[in-house]
Amino acid sequence: MNVLSDAFVSSPVLDVQGLSKVFTGSSEQTPVLSGLNFQAWPGEFICITGQSGCGKSTLLKLLAGFIPPTAGRILFKGKSITGPGPDRCVVFQEDALFPWLTVAENIGFGLKGKALSAAEKQSRVNRFLDLVGLTEFKDYLPGEISGGMKQRVALARILVLSPEVLLMDEPFAALDARTREQMQNLLLSLWEQLKQTIIFVTHDVREAVTLSDRTMVMGRITGEAIITPIHLVPIPLERPRIQSSREFMELAAQINSPNK
Amino acid sequence: MYRILPWILPATALCGWGLASNLGWVPPYLLPSPGDILDTAGIYIFGTDGQGPYAGRFARDTLASLFRVGLGFGLATVCGLILGVWSGRVPAVARLLNTPVNGLRAVPGITWLPLAMVWFGIGLKTTVFLVALAAFFPIYLNAASGAAQVNPLLLQAGAMMGVDRIRGTFAILLPAAMPAIVTGLRLGLGISWAYLVLGELSGVPDGLGAVIMDARMLGRIDMIVVGIILIALMGQASDWLLKNALKFCFTSAARQI
Ligand SMILES: Nc1ncnc2c1ncn2[C@@H]1O[C@H](COP(=O)(O)OP(=O)(O)O)[C@@H](O)[C@H]1O
Ligand SMILES: [Mg+2]
Repeated sequence: MNVLSDAFVSSPVLDVQGLSKVFTGSSEQTPVLSGLNFQAWPGEFICITGQSGCGKSTLLKLLAGFIPPTAGRILFKGKSITGPGPDRCVVFQEDALFPWLTVAENIGFGLKGKALSAAEKQSRVNRFLDLVGLTEFKDYLPGEISGGMKQRVALARILVLSPEVLLMDEPFAALDARTREQMQNLLLSLWEQLKQTIIFVTHDVREAVTLSDRTMVMGRITGEAIITPIHLVPIPLERPRIQSSREFMELAAQINSPNK
Repeated sequence: MYRILPWILPATALCGWGLASNLGWVPPYLLPSPGDILDTAGIYIFGTDGQGPYAGRFARDTLASLFRVGLGFGLATVCGLILGVWSGRVPAVARLLNTPVNGLRAVPGITWLPLAMVWFGIGLKTTVFLVALAAFFPIYLNAASGAAQVNPLLLQAGAMMGVDRIRGTFAILLPAAMPAIVTGLRLGLGISWAYLVLGELSGVPDGLGAVIMDARMLGRIDMIVVGIILIALMGQASDWLLKNALKFCFTSAARQI
């Protein structure tokens, strides 16, 4: 790759600068993130891991624009984020599909307000139904399909909007091992075709090493206003990655104890 | 066997009633026999003017009653849904409305009758007022709890897909609250019939409730029973109609109830 031209075209898609979040309850304050800095580059796949309660979901909600930061800012393509939008879409851990809409209608939901012809909308829906392998199930309701299929619908309904950033909060955590592996492969193949930037939260270190270009390990803040410790571990392995390979295991071990 | 289960009790009651009448256990001036009731109903529904005071009045009475129920229930639906959904979503509105609503709800509807008669006189307005007032509460309360319990993830999902407030309300909030809304509307319609009769007992010339009151004064027990049965049937029919109309009009109702 040409280093010069790379530096020329690339500016970060997401630029997190001194990001802090304190939840203010009626009686107490919960500091969750403090002075967090990192960048995500176009087409990059970043996984975020860390102990439960270290603020991974909070970070994702901040990136999505669901909640405002207490201090610092998040730039999306150079502009401060002010709220949620279809350029940064979230796949939630839980099922957040509209239960009264069929699979196809759920996927077409975000296109409703768009200035596209009905035929164009239909063909986009069909394309993404096909990409996630749910064409046969397009007329089913969310209550009638499995958890893995639901997450595929959740993925398709945002991919159809061509978001530049995909935010995924433990999207496969509730799935059984086989389905999870299928979903990982599906996600990787979609990402290779569509090249969005993906921020993917997982507590599963193997999943992080399997998927990401870089894995961000978040630490817990103890006491008040300590800079949120993070380690960014590059994963320089070719895909598809072999979980039993030595490099894979070494990287997993490094993520598990990043201070060593 | 399972299919006839719902009919066992009514059929037994009917047999017992017929038996009691035929064996003379109850005198006809307390409870006429099923056959007499059927005759009276026939004359009431299909009869012509010569056949007594109630002959052929069914259509007129039913239309009058339906009109009053429709107006009162419609009014309650409009107010109950708007205020209910609003208070379910906006805590300040809930705080503002909940105290007066709960206060008024504690007052039995029948106690409004004297006041309503003073305010609105005898007739349409009083009946519509009573029906609307009674139907408002279940509609309001169910809409409020339905709207409050909508999964916030659904609204967040909408926001991230670029859905604005108005579309969010009509394309996400209301469909998600639809099962609760339907429950409220059905309860409201049921109670509408109860308060219709109360309003019509106050002395209007037509309507199913008025017929019952009139029949009491003429000592026509058979006509009273016919009135009761017809109101029960109308209540059932209107509930069925409401449920299916909602299912027909809203996919969110069709697919969630
Ligand atoms: N809305 C909120 N109000 C108060 N505290 C919150 C809120 N959301 C999260 N927290 C707290 O912030 C911390 C981090 O939560 P979260 O981001 O969900 O962690 P993770 O996803 O890494 O498990 C937890 O201690 C949690 O209790
Ligand atoms: Mg979490």
